[in-house]
Amino acid sequence: MTTEAVLVVAAALFGIGVYGALSQQSFVMLMMGIELLINGAILALVVLWARAAGGSPQGQMLGVVFMTVMAVEMALGFALITGVYRVRRADITEKLRRLKG
Amino acid sequence: MIAGPLVDATFWVFALGSIVAGYRVFRTDSMVRAAFYLLASFAGVGGIVVLLGAEFLGMVLILMMAGEMLIMAIVMVMFMMNPAGLNPMVMVHQNRRAAVAGIVAFVALAAVGLLGNFPARPVPDPSTATAELGTELLGDSMLVFQSAGVALLSTMIGAVVIAGRKGRFGVAEEDSIEPSLQPDEEPGR
Amino acid sequence: MRPYVGAEVALLATAAALVAGVYLVAVLDRFAAALVAGAVGSWRRLLVVPLAAAAALLVQQRRTTERPDGAGWAVAPALFFGLAAFALALVPLGPDLVIADPSTGFVAFSAAIAFVMIAVFLHGWSPNSPFALHGAYRYGAAALSFQIPFLLAMLATALPAESLSIVDIVRAQEPAWNVLRQPLGLPLYLVVGVGVSFWGPLNLSDASDVAGGTSVEDSGVARLLWTIARSAMLVAVAAMGAAGFLGGWWGPILPGPAWMIAKTGAVLLAILAAGHLLARVRIATFVLVAWAVLIPLALLNVFVSGAILL
Repeated sequence: MTTEAVLVVAAALFGIGVYGALSQQSFVMLMMGIELLINGAILALVVLWARAAGGSPQGQMLGVVFMTVMAVEMALGFALITGVYRVRRADITEKLRRLKG
Repeated sequence: MIAGPLVDATFWVFALGSIVAGYRVFRTDSMVRAAFYLLASFAGVGGIVVLLGAEFLGMVLILMMAGEMLIMAIVMVMFMMNPAGLNPMVMVHQNRRAAVAGIVAFVALAAVGLLGNFPARPVPDPSTATAELGTELLGDSMLVFQSAGVALLSTMIGAVVIAGRKGRFGVAEEDSIEPSLQPDEEPGR
Repeated sequence: MRPYVGAEVALLATAAALVAGVYLVAVLDRFAAALVAGAVGSWRRLLVVPLAAAAALLVQQRRTTERPDGAGWAVAPALFFGLAAFALALVPLGPDLVIADPSTGFVAFSAAIAFVMIAVFLHGWSPNSPFALHGAYRYGAAALSFQIPFLLAMLATALPAESLSIVDIVRAQEPAWNVLRQPLGLPLYLVVGVGVSFWGPLNLSDASDVAGGTSVEDSGVARLLWTIARSAMLVAVAAMGAAGFLGGWWGPILPGPAWMIAKTGAVLLAILAAGHLLARVRIATFVLVAWAVLIPLALLNVFVSGAILL
């Protein structure tokens, strides 16, 4: 479990997340991509905290901030999906050409 | 630092498991299955985080994701077409460009990971990591912690306002669709 | 570094505790039913009937549904059982008699409880059957509602211990058990714990009077495995209740582990008797109560415990 190996795993998760976030049409699948992306970021953060930062507690603190970001992303994402479906009957990105209103 | 061949083997199981599960998320017909794969991927990452010594972060990651996946599955069944995946369908756009972007992101970040010169300063004593995080949360980083709390509170309020029963164009039980949009019309404008 | 036992001892001890616990649940359930009915009958019957029922399930013919998700269906009971084993391994029998005592034991236990909803949802979704899926949705709605009171009720026990480790939580109960210090804690935990293991009045997802719920399509070995996993989870929940609120190994005269086992048995009997005494709660009622009553009560519990410590 070298630092490099974990970083490569994190990069792979991030790459899959980028693919998912860019390629999926369905809102929920798109959010899954974003979450994989944050997942990779958290993994990279934790390995650098554990191996290169000398165990400074601020590193873990940053992890807590990442998780907050993730929670905010999910909550607002689900709320927006609900709101957009009510107003536009849209469940995929192609149905939202016009963002105004 | 926890180390040893058993730890290494566990790490590779978690790592390969989470990558394969993450890949399967976008290669399966059913959204519910995709949610389960995503959760498996998260559980793998949570396991690696625990192995690295950040017990609290890893456990909280798993705890949080389990709840989220359930909400995700329910949202899917509420709004999305074909939630159970009985009819295979492909719902992707700009597939090739997205794949290239993903591979480029992977190669660039992996290069940073492999070629970067990181200082070797491991955690002195992982068994105190949880206690240290607690002291940090309510000590020097109190402001950050409180800001995160306020951000979550405002998110909750915002989410309830956006998703609440009373929308801009009417109440949810009645017709709350945008007036310019006829009921039968395809909303792809 | 905290003490961990060797892998062989851990496996054997967990397996023994699970087997004994599952059998105890089956016997106690019948015993509670007989007590409520007012006729206990013969002990031999009580002890043998669960084994006979299990044997009957072993030879029952398997049936299947149209296009199920086979992998998910097979994995769900195993996942549930694994979670129960994981949760039970965190509960200490004595100050040094614990399989694993991570510094975040309480969070680990909560993570296992949160994962139970995934196991139940998988179990209800995978057979591709409407009643099973309805059961899964009912459990999902209930689980999302009781997660927060569960976390808060458990969190209050960590306050006097100043630690998230379960051994420390029990150790801090030497002067007074948490059931006395936090009178709201144990009732809240019991309500939520019954919900977590979907037993008795909160059996919203698997009961025979809600069309069988998630296990309606199960037959033979699969049904037996699911029942065993449910019982094992109930044991884990009861053991954690005994450790977190009833003082764990603390008690006069008898040695610590004996107290722990006796308290776990008492919590189990209370939960199982409630299953025969109380009527089933409707899911809508439970969700309303969970959000509007249990969460404020649990918050009050945390605030009062914190204020006393200050």
